[in-house]
Amino acid sequence: MEFEITYSKKQEKFRTEVQAWLESNVPEGIEHPADSSDLTEEQYLKRRELGRKLGSKGWLWPSAPEKYGGGGLGVEHAIVLEEEMDKIGLSLPPYYDSGGRLGGNSILVWGTEEQKQYFLPQIFQGNVRTWQLLSEPEAGSDLANVKTTAVKDGDDYIINGQKVYVGSAFGAEYMWTITCTDPKGERHKNLGWFMIPGNSEGITINPMDLLSSAGESGAGSGIKNIVFFDNVRVPAKNLIGEENNGWQVATTHLELEHGTGGRIARNWIVDKIFEYCKTTDFNGSSISSDQFAKDKLLDIYIDAEVGRLFQLRNYWMRHTGASFSYEGPQASYFRKTSGLRIATNILEILGPSALTSDEKLSVESGHIEAHQRAAIIALHPGGTTDIQKVIMSRRIGIGRENKEKAGALK
Amino acid sequence: MDLSLTEEQEMIKSSTREFVAAEFTKDVLLTIDKNRLPCASDSWGKLLSTGLLSALIPSKYGGNGGSFTNASIIFEELGRAPVPGPHLSAYALSVNILLNMGNEEQKQKYLSKLNNGKSVIIPAISDQEYGWSEDQITCKAKKTVAGYSISTEKTFVLDGMSATEYIVAANLEDGTIGFFVIPKKIKGITTRALAGFAWHMSEVVIDQIEVSDDCLLQFSSWDKFAEAANLSSVLLSAYQVGGCQYVYELSVEYSRTRMQFGTPIGRFQRVQDYIINLVNSLDAARWTTNEALWKIDSGKDYGDSIHLAQSVASQAYLDCCTYAHEVHAGIGSLTEYGLTLHTTASRTLYHYLGSPRFHRQKLAVVLGLI
Repeated sequence: MEFEITYSKKQEKFRTEVQAWLESNVPEGIEHPADSSDLTEEQYLKRRELGRKLGSKGWLWPSAPEKYGGGGLGVEHAIVLEEEMDKIGLSLPPYYDSGGRLGGNSILVWGTEEQKQYFLPQIFQGNVRTWQLLSEPEAGSDLANVKTTAVKDGDDYIINGQKVYVGSAFGAEYMWTITCTDPKGERHKNLGWFMIPGNSEGITINPMDLLSSAGESGAGSGIKNIVFFDNVRVPAKNLIGEENNGWQVATTHLELEHGTGGRIARNWIVDKIFEYCKTTDFNGSSISSDQFAKDKLLDIYIDAEVGRLFQLRNYWMRHTGASFSYEGPQASYFRKTSGLRIATNILEILGPSALTSDEKLSVESGHIEAHQRAAIIALHPGGTTDIQKVIMSRRIGIGRENKEKAGALK
Repeated sequence: MDLSLTEEQEMIKSSTREFVAAEFTKDVLLTIDKNRLPCASDSWGKLLSTGLLSALIPSKYGGNGGSFTNASIIFEELGRAPVPGPHLSAYALSVNILLNMGNEEQKQKYLSKLNNGKSVIIPAISDQEYGWSEDQITCKAKKTVAGYSISTEKTFVLDGMSATEYIVAANLEDGTIGFFVIPKKIKGITTRALAGFAWHMSEVVIDQIEVSDDCLLQFSSWDKFAEAANLSSVLLSAYQVGGCQYVYELSVEYSRTRMQFGTPIGRFQRVQDYIINLVNSLDAARWTTNEALWKIDSGKDYGDSIHLAQSVASQAYLDCCTYAHEVHAGIGSLTEYGLTLHTTASRTLYHYLGSPRFHRQKLAVVLGLI
């Protein structure tokens, strides 16, 4: 077994190239704010600009196929890019975009050649950013119960309905969504998956007032919206994976969102809290010397390490093409539940200073306060903790002989 | 990055699994559990002759001298049964103690005897106050003309009844701690098996014995013992992972076959929750252990990972058995069903080589939480 990435000379050479490029291309003033809803439009536009530059080098979605505008790079180069972006406090892509990792993968698996040629280069080059539109007021955990309709009308579909907890601030060029294409059809066989241009007539976007908008994406989404479709006309060629086959298309991005992709990044909030407790004075010695705080910090550490190892395992499995069973939802379940435990332990150690973003009294410039809220919100996107357990049970085959298979990936 | 086992390691795994399944059947394990002397069984003799237990003994002493990862694969498979000791005691901790502290002559003598099964060398470390810290060694070895005089009561000695020799820790007059290899049969040593839920534990009473100078391992020190115990604890973790894996499989199977209210009980989400907790604990133990093994075998600093793995794995084995009891309800407590073999092992091993609390304290120091 080898848990560490060993970097070849080729990779180190690539790292030097990446560092130099980032040094001269990353603009000033686009740092991640403590609360992602504080990201300004100016900062966002600068990040998009950076995304396009990265995209033109094949570095925005480095592992995506070159044929469709991705980098076509192996995992060894993708890792270097992710690490170097992480070092300067940015993620890849440097803004909220669920297209490259999730929606794009569904198009890769289920789209026609023509659709792949049309949509994927736009995504992988950073010319468009896309949002996922899945949940509805009546379709949360029961996603297959979506009521948004798509009715065929000549060469188009007419879409009506509403989607909730959508996207981020500042709009998107495409919205990918799952709709009902046959209201009388059998469950799971009555859905259609669409790529909808964000500027289509009849789309209304209203921001939601939420405790926190931080979600699955490392970039932080800033804000979540309700999106209304009012007789929105979409060309039939934007239907991916045939009419009534939308659930299959969705299983691909749901699988990835359920944690199957894995991650190799460190948990920076844990690094921050350790550093803070070691260096901050409390009754004449460091916070971390207090036995109670020490115990809580150890709980945090163990949770973070186990979570890191689950993500690392999945990352390795994904990049070696191993077949998944329950590992995706397990990593997701653990990340969500341990995330909340970590936040609660931090609250116990720090007391009310963990709860304020006040300039004078907050810890780590408000990052800790934002994390307190985000840890609660993070329990639910991409499937609640209970849904993750349901999926795990089916995959393991608890109480059943036939084990459910993981969604198709590319 | 490569988290898979090598082809050779996969072979070690499958052959050990086959051997353990064939030799340590439930009936054999239940019989051993009753008469409490694993070494006396035919199966133990066969296990010795396979050489599997010699995974840590270097080839110059007749062993297989492989990597810790190779050894862990064997210990994990022993843990599945669970095959009772003396393996963690004699073939992990004693081997590491001897390798760390013995001079060449002592290593040659004792390691080859362990290797060929002529000796069962069992560490008897803490005195009346049980624990794995230096402070718990209260007994003193007094220098005499002929050697040393030792008198103490060593408590909660795992596999003590199986011993032919003990490794006894005692304070020396120069303030350091010495480790003596002492034959069990000499006058003044009595060993008593501890009744109850304890798993192959005993008390060793040492009443004013005299031992010669060459019984003292020449390079004895507490630091070297702590190092030996740390390295051994990874194999304990692997053994516990094996136990967790087995009770997981047992519970999943039971969830499919046990019918209540006209449906397999695994269809109830409350039952599913236990199994999900179980598999999460199992995988946490497995991957923290694997990372520690990789660090040891590749020569990296492993202090943090060893203590992390052991605090996670001991807790996991205990919890997994408890979850399995929740899944199984009544039948799980039936001795002949086999789950209680694990439950019993998990409780005793929770403290062996230091409890999770002990390892968390060590981890805090490594992480600079001071």
